[in-house]
Amino acid sequence: MGTQIKDVVIKPDAPNTLLLEKHADYIAAYGSKKDDYEYTLSEYLRMSGIYWGLTVMDLMSQLQRMNRDEIIDFIQASQHECGGISASVGHDPHLLYTLSAVQILTLYDSVKSIDVDKVVEYVQGLQQEDGSFAGDKWGEIDTRFSFCAVATLALLGRLDAVDVDKAVQFVLSCMNFDGGFGCRPGSESHAGQIYCCTGFLSITGQLHQVNADLLGWWLCERQLPSGGLNGRPEKLPDVCYSWWVLAALKIIGRIQWIDKAKLRRFILACQDEETGGFADRPGDMVDPFHTLFGIAGLSLLGEEQVKTVDPVFCMPEEVLQRIGLHTDLLT
Amino acid sequence: MHGRVKVKTTAQQEEEKRKEREKKLKVYLTVRDAIFKKRTNSELDEEALQLTQQLLASNPDFATLWNYRREILLHLETVKEDEEMQKLYEAELLFIESCLKVNPKSYGSWHHRGWVSSRLPRPDWKRELSLCDRCLSLDDRNFHCWDYRRLVVKASKVSVEQELQFTDRLIGSNFSNYSSWHYRSTLLPLLHPQPASDPESACQKHTRPTASPQTHGHRVCEEQLLKEYELVQNAVFTDPNDQSAWFYYRWLLGRAEREELISCVYVSREGERVAVAFSKPVNVVNLMLVLDGQPQQVEWRSVHPQFRHSPVWLCELPPSSISDINNEHNLTVHWTEKHTHRDCALYTGRMESWCRESATDQELFRSELSVEKTSVLQSELQSCTQLLELEPQNKWCLLTIILLMRALDPLGHEKETLTHFQTLKEVDPMRSSYYSDLCSKFMIENTILKMEYAEVRVFSLSDKNLSTLCHLDQLLLVTHINLCSNQLVKLPLQFTMLHCLEVLEADDNAIENLEGLYHLPKLEEVSLKNNQISKIADLSPLATCPKLTRLDLRGNPVTQADDVWAELAELLPSLTELLL
Repeated sequence: MGTQIKDVVIKPDAPNTLLLEKHADYIAAYGSKKDDYEYTLSEYLRMSGIYWGLTVMDLMSQLQRMNRDEIIDFIQASQHECGGISASVGHDPHLLYTLSAVQILTLYDSVKSIDVDKVVEYVQGLQQEDGSFAGDKWGEIDTRFSFCAVATLALLGRLDAVDVDKAVQFVLSCMNFDGGFGCRPGSESHAGQIYCCTGFLSITGQLHQVNADLLGWWLCERQLPSGGLNGRPEKLPDVCYSWWVLAALKIIGRIQWIDKAKLRRFILACQDEETGGFADRPGDMVDPFHTLFGIAGLSLLGEEQVKTVDPVFCMPEEVLQRIGLHTDLLT
Repeated sequence: MHGRVKVKTTAQQEEEKRKEREKKLKVYLTVRDAIFKKRTNSELDEEALQLTQQLLASNPDFATLWNYRREILLHLETVKEDEEMQKLYEAELLFIESCLKVNPKSYGSWHHRGWVSSRLPRPDWKRELSLCDRCLSLDDRNFHCWDYRRLVVKASKVSVEQELQFTDRLIGSNFSNYSSWHYRSTLLPLLHPQPASDPESACQKHTRPTASPQTHGHRVCEEQLLKEYELVQNAVFTDPNDQSAWFYYRWLLGRAEREELISCVYVSREGERVAVAFSKPVNVVNLMLVLDGQPQQVEWRSVHPQFRHSPVWLCELPPSSISDINNEHNLTVHWTEKHTHRDCALYTGRMESWCRESATDQELFRSELSVEKTSVLQSELQSCTQLLELEPQNKWCLLTIILLMRALDPLGHEKETLTHFQTLKEVDPMRSSYYSDLCSKFMIENTILKMEYAEVRVFSLSDKNLSTLCHLDQLLLVTHINLCSNQLVKLPLQFTMLHCLEVLEADDNAIENLEGLYHLPKLEEVSLKNNQISKIADLSPLATCPKLTRLDLRGNPVTQADDVWAELAELLPSLTELLL
């Protein structure tokens, strides 16, 4: 009656060394095939796509290969009257892409190239009576957007622009029986959401409200026999969860609870030796999203060939140091 | 971009595919540009609905197109009759349903469905609920659909009982359904709350405002709890390796939360210091200190600048207020925010004094587990022990047995608990450090319990396989601590809570980090033989401990450093005895 454990088998010939150069080439080439069908179809998330690509390039010390001027022009063109930033020109502004844009500009040390006050105003305007944040003016509520809001403001040094106490109350009302967090009060725990909520509580200085031992147990139980991590019980492992689960564990000071060597083996096996890049699981198609989270996961595991990543902002630690942002973590 | 298997293709196939994609791209761009153009011209018509439908059908994550549709529909509301709008919105629901069939996990489609439902002149919530039923029968873990279900349930006032029955049905057909167990955890406290003040009274059926099942007061009454235990037992005996029911079981077992209170007030004539311990980490902005009837102006600080929230707070009294040993003083600390206070008397001839909450072991550490009737827990333990006989390698069962034993009698079961932890590490080596840390926590708790009974200020935790330190806020009054022969790698920042510590012995560990030996006003002797301290800089926190006279570093890599004597003499000038 019960379900079998869902997992993958790592083939003996799967890659087991980090193919840094291939990954850098893959990302550098990705943006150059702009008339590709698949590329065009993902236009609705372009700003986040650029953030994924640039961050992973920076983690690999290859940021200089990307076209800085073109990207900053693109971001400027994507800021709207209301202050919010859209995924691409012609699309509507949203907190998801506003955060991505601010992250990119922080990487490039050039937040001043957009109207920062307007961005702050936009974020401010999306906070609801109960402290939650809508993703845009159409009112979808999600703890992801709570994270986007405070992360954006923290990067801009303007956290005081919103009602932080109320925002915290809302996120805490999404805490579940397993110590995890969901999208809204009553929603099931999900590793991606847990990353957002623990990141949110770190930024707002409220990590002591987390039941770290209980949540840490749930998170370390995401590791499957293959070494990979899933995002919820009884789901398949996926490289992006090596970021979300691992970063959340790092934030709550429990990263030692998973088997690091086995996870590293799984992440490395998700590389594509021909094209470069990481896929969600061994043998699948690669994309920039999984490439960032593969590399960022390895960084949290202590990989020395890449820069140290910050577990809350998913950006190189040195970038946050440069702007004087110190990340709160539990010990 | 998940789960797309990479397929090898020939050059010819590749070329055909390329041409096909090129064609598709052309069509896509033509439609997209037409839509953008219409929108720029503020054309809010049915043609735009048609065009956006074309793209959304295969690309429902294109959020801007849903936004455009909403703008059009809102505009049409101003020019059309209700009846026409009803039809339009119903058509919209049908379209969304077709999108959900292609991609049942699109945030955009589900949000738009909620929006349309809220605009419908005559909403049909029954139909929406049955859509959820159908969708969950295809994938009972789709959290988008579960969330939409909660929205429908709320809007149409479906009863909590009815929803609980729904989870009965789902769990009955498949125990391995984490989403359903989760849903139960949110429903039960609404339906069968445990009366906050009187845990013994019978079940009361009334609903409370929603809040997280983690927060205080969200417990389930005893009668319902017994039924839940039975359901879980059914599940774990059917499939002992299914984690869903075990996670739920742990929640059922552990519900009480500790009250927020001042657990200890400590005052010392020397340095005229006051330390206050709380039952939870707090940020005390309005803590008021009254000395002999006079409110005092003091500055509270947490034990370490890195802790904005801390269970221990410190302050110094104004000079000469309590330094004369011939005077008796009465001190009261008021936690105004929580309307609670604690008194402490400092008698003539005494250098220090304290007043501590006389916590029972239940209050102290069983908070993770309920204060349930012992007989119930006893019978739960029996069932689990039976299951373990059938499944001696089952980690879920082992861990649950440990938790039950702790709830029943932590000291009496200590030996068995240790054996079970050993087995756990063997059957589940991937999580062995979790088990080590949890075991450390329990060993520390047991030692504190023994100390509580004996009222001593000497704390020995040597040779207990400790991999981590916790509950250090409970050790505020400890003067001597022995941590020798464990597997500790650091003395964490929380170590600064040992405010009365005079002697620290931590030989034979793997300690490389001493960040917690920070501003300990009474610390005199530190023994760190055979550890992993490798740099002089690692010892710098000790420079903040003014009374340090003896330091034993024998068997540490740092002793091999050049100039170690001179550098240490400079760093720690108060030392009179240094062993390298």
